Amino acid sequence: MTAIHLENLVKRFGAFTALKTMDLEIRDGEFMALLGPSGCGKSTTMNMIAGMEQPSEGRITFDGRDMNGVAIGRRGVGFVFQNYAIFTHMNVYDNLAYGLKVRGTPASEIDRRVKAMADFLQLTPMLDKPSAKLSVNILQRLAIGRSAIVEPAIFLLDEPLSNVDAAFRAVMRTELKHLQRQFRQTMVYVTHDQLEAMTMADRIAVMDHGVLQQVGTPLEVYNDPVNLFVADFIGSPGMNLLKGTLADSDRGLVVDLGMLGVTAPLDPALSAIARVNRVREVVYGFRPERVVPAAAGQGLAIPVTFIERIGARTVVHFGDREQRVKAVFDNDVAVQAGETVHVAVEPGFARLFDAATGVAIREV
Amino acid sequence: MSMLATKEKLSVTGDLSTPETRIEDGGRRLGLMLTLPAQVLVLFIAVFPLLMQLYISLTDWSPLDGIGWWHAYELWNNFANYTDLAADSRFWDALGRTALVMLICVPAEFLLGLGLAILFMDNFAGKRVFYSIMLIPMMVVPAVTGYMFFMLFQSGGPVNDIISTLIGRPFALAWLSSPGTAMVAVMIADIWQWTPLMFLILLAGLVGVPEDQMRAATLLGASWTQRFHTIVLPKMKTIIIIALSIRVIENFKIFDTLYIMTGGGPGVATETISVYIYKVTQQDLIWGYVAAIALVILIALSILVSLAISRMNAAKEA
Repeated sequence: MTAIHLENLVKRFGAFTALKTMDLEIRDGEFMALLGPSGCGKSTTMNMIAGMEQPSEGRITFDGRDMNGVAIGRRGVGFVFQNYAIFTHMNVYDNLAYGLKVRGTPASEIDRRVKAMADFLQLTPMLDKPSAKLSVNILQRLAIGRSAIVEPAIFLLDEPLSNVDAAFRAVMRTELKHLQRQFRQTMVYVTHDQLEAMTMADRIAVMDHGVLQQVGTPLEVYNDPVNLFVADFIGSPGMNLLKGTLADSDRGLVVDLGMLGVTAPLDPALSAIARVNRVREVVYGFRPERVVPAAAGQGLAIPVTFIERIGARTVVHFGDREQRVKAVFDNDVAVQAGETVHVAVEPGFARLFDAATGVAIREV
Repeated sequence: MSMLATKEKLSVTGDLSTPETRIEDGGRRLGLMLTLPAQVLVLFIAVFPLLMQLYISLTDWSPLDGIGWWHAYELWNNFANYTDLAADSRFWDALGRTALVMLICVPAEFLLGLGLAILFMDNFAGKRVFYSIMLIPMMVVPAVTGYMFFMLFQSGGPVNDIISTLIGRPFALAWLSSPGTAMVAVMIADIWQWTPLMFLILLAGLVGVPEDQMRAATLLGASWTQRFHTIVLPKMKTIIIIALSIRVIENFKIFDTLYIMTGGGPGVATETISVYIYKVTQQDLIWGYVAAIALVILIALSILVSLAISRMNAAKEA
């Protein structure tokens, strides 16, 4: 139960800067996901929290205590590795007992705590089994139990589900979230899979190219991305992003999307901010899930390129290379490739970004 | 599946479906025929000399007798070679010296090799160059090693020069002609030459220890020594047994380096089992006796190695 504070954290490897001035507060008992594509600096951040890497600048505090120079083994960090790093030459019992043994805990106490942990994680029937041939969900529980038994202040999980096949991942996600609730531990979870981050995390820190892009609850990040990267990265498919120019019309401020036509008037609030910002060249963003069919002559008229039926939903692709739009409709939507369809964005769900900087135009 | 398909095809294309080409006994006869040449070869290389040796060891045969070895039964001596061997104190002394060399050299090579391998797990400047240099002794012909160390340990040689400089007064020990120190010099030469092999094998083992498990142990609070005992050694058990077995077998046969340095002397001070066998063969020419010695040693070494292998299999299953 520890709050982690990353202050002006920088990590350089030679000339390469892996992490640029990161500030992040992870609250006590929070499940924080570090989300981003590979090479975004999320693993580096985690390794620095664990003490496996030393920050080039800045500091990391646990409940206000500076962790600089504190040895890996003394930080009270539980680390669950991508492949779990179970000691394959030991049985389940010895794996669980390892952390206590190396601390010189009395044998009777080790036995009591290992049994309690095994009971808690439903590992009791396999205590004597060699750990090399266990199934992956048992390995996950064992890895968590092995770390949890020494009562770490925080848990770091490094993409623990990336070796699991897709069908099983849902089960593992549920189990992991369940375990986190039981332990009520601060957990930092590194992943490149937004579904994992969205479903499990209390808050998500989206990272790219060593820069922290946005921190927020899954819904905040999803609904109000702060820049084009987050808008595109979060969501499957990502947000539709169309280049356009702000223009005044008799009904209010609209975005001129060139060939595609002119959008519906923006919300009064968004219009007001856009006017204050004095930006003309913008990117007009909206979620594929918020695209609705419009009556002929209204909304944007765009040709359907192809249709992806994914069961529950149908993803319709519109437009050409320049101005591509995706829309998620019900699975029985009656559109065909080649025809031109009129679509609009649900009122209140359009977002604006500054085309030059990529930053969202919104209330701060 | 593929077998089935083949069978069907054969029966359809008539001319190939002669009984000889059909696989009816699960391929056992075909397998035997295919491996027969290799089996005969193995028989001649391994089994035949062994039987020949056993045969000669039961006789007083020597090439000087003027009869072929296959006529050796004419010199049958009722196991006299073996009874002589049991009473041969020179043999037992040589065996004792061989064991002593093995008990000092192999652990020394192991510990030095392991220490160096651990050093080479870290990165340091010039690592690749040192790595290449490290392996040179192993590639030197043992006879040349013998000559090198013969020169080094002369009473006016570099070893004594260095010791003189260190202690600040003249030091002129005749290493190779003093019974007490000749064996020390021989063991130093052996350790110099064969530590690199240990190093190489153990480094391969160390590299194979999963890094994430080491990290996991570190994160759980294990110190370096604890990690070494609980992760590294168990993971390297098999490779350590292999390395030790190779060196025990090889060291037991120590000959060329030693023979060039001391010739087994002074007196019999460095006479190991191989030197003794060589002398008996070349000087005394009692080949029946030599065969008996060789056979006894072969059996002793075989027992040693099979013990090591069974330990290794036990380690693998654990």
